[in-house]
Amino acid sequence: MLKKLLAAGAVAIGLTGLAAPASVAARTLDEIIKSGAIRVGVNPTLPPLGKFDDKNEIVGFDVDFAAEIAKTLGVKLEVVQTGSPDRIPFVVSGKIDFVMGAMTRNPERAKVIDFTVPVHTEVLGVLTTKDKPFTDWKQFNEPSVTFVQVRGSTPVKFIEDNLKNAKVTLLDNYPDAVRALAQGRGTAMIDVIDFMGEHMAKHKVEWKVVETPIDIYYCGLGVSKASTGLKDWLNVAIFELHRRGKTDEIWKKWFGMDMIKPVGATPYF
Amino acid sequence: MSYTLQYGQIWPYLPRLFDGAWIALQIAVLAFCGGLAIGTACAAVKSFGPRWLSRIVNLYVVFFTNTPQLVQIYFLYFALPDMGVLLSSYAAVLIGMTLNAGAYLTEIQRAGFESRRVSEMEAAEVLGFSRLQQIRYVILPHMARVLFPPLSNHFIIMTLGTSMAAVFGVEELTGQAFNINSQTFRSIEIFSVTALFYVALTLAASVLLAAIGRYAFRARTGLI
Repeated sequence: MLKKLLAAGAVAIGLTGLAAPASVAARTLDEIIKSGAIRVGVNPTLPPLGKFDDKNEIVGFDVDFAAEIAKTLGVKLEVVQTGSPDRIPFVVSGKIDFVMGAMTRNPERAKVIDFTVPVHTEVLGVLTTKDKPFTDWKQFNEPSVTFVQVRGSTPVKFIEDNLKNAKVTLLDNYPDAVRALAQGRGTAMIDVIDFMGEHMAKHKVEWKVVETPIDIYYCGLGVSKASTGLKDWLNVAIFELHRRGKTDEIWKKWFGMDMIKPVGATPYF
Repeated sequence: MSYTLQYGQIWPYLPRLFDGAWIALQIAVLAFCGGLAIGTACAAVKSFGPRWLSRIVNLYVVFFTNTPQLVQIYFLYFALPDMGVLLSSYAAVLIGMTLNAGAYLTEIQRAGFESRRVSEMEAAEVLGFSRLQQIRYVILPHMARVLFPPLSNHFIIMTLGTSMAAVFGVEELTGQAFNINSQTFRSIEIFSVTALFYVALTLAASVLLAAIGRYAFRARTGLI
């Protein structure tokens, strides 16, 4: 029996090692055009970028923007539901052609996948309640402060680096995190202010957004490094959508306001 | 696939996985011990207790074995605060897993109680064993032998089940894996290494439990 168990362990080790070099591969631009459809990963837990509507279909800014991209390419759009842990394997294995969902670019991530030019920005700020005295994000660097954050989101690293003395509780998704904050499980939450409105409205709490923004993130589309031609084409398409005002239009439709820090159409990329 | 595996990129994060594995093991052991106490008490009630008390125990067992554990902990963590009880992440997960384990272990322990044979008890009495000696030399060894394999199995299931604690802000193994994944995007590398951590945890637990069974209870688990 022990031998069997060891064998099972060996198989598990082998499987995890072998799972990677499977035969699937990211598709090139030509292959996507030929197939007649582009597959886009959207995270439905990030309203209003992506969420489920009454018919349980994924809608949101990401879906509308991806639809414009598909239209420009002259192919059909296939939306694929993705989450935080599977989005990168989906891209590198070719299950999806590119991934959306507030893909903040940074050098560490760009070693693994390619990023297009920015589609939109996110303004990072602090959400807290009116009864707290804080007026600047730097005041939160205290052991008495507990941040409630979403596991896997970019601000977690920011807090680790810049607000070392504060404690952090990581929860699974935005509704849970904002509810935990509303229930008094934490002092504040650092995240993108653009996204807060929808969740804040669900709780009878006197919210406060600390005035000074902390940072601005630039989010593009995530593309496999093996998708020959795809990223370059997407860059041109995104530039066109920015220039024609299409991006701003879709943003306003879903967020109910203009982008706090517009990307702007820049001809150099 | 043109992806190149880069395990070197996640080595600096390994200590976090060890921290996570330690917390996972902690939760599994504590919840299992708590569950074993609840389970033994409830099984005793079901086998020897009054009928009304046995009914209540039944209700508890049916409820916890027929609803998902994740939902049970969600209730403890997010619904109780609305009634004025604010449990910490760790406490909510531990209480949830303990109550859940208690329900399953009640059924397992009951099988143990039922497995004692009247003829054996009578034989012990005839041989002049005191009540305490009967328990020590007849009932316990018998129960231990019957119960050890299912109890070990449940402990291993619970060790793997600790992964859901990540949902409630406990930084155990899976939670740490998610954190490292989001910072490095090395998903394939980090999740395969995390899987190995779980294999190591359960393998170690299996061998240890089998050894205990073999030498303490003379139970043949078939493992060693």
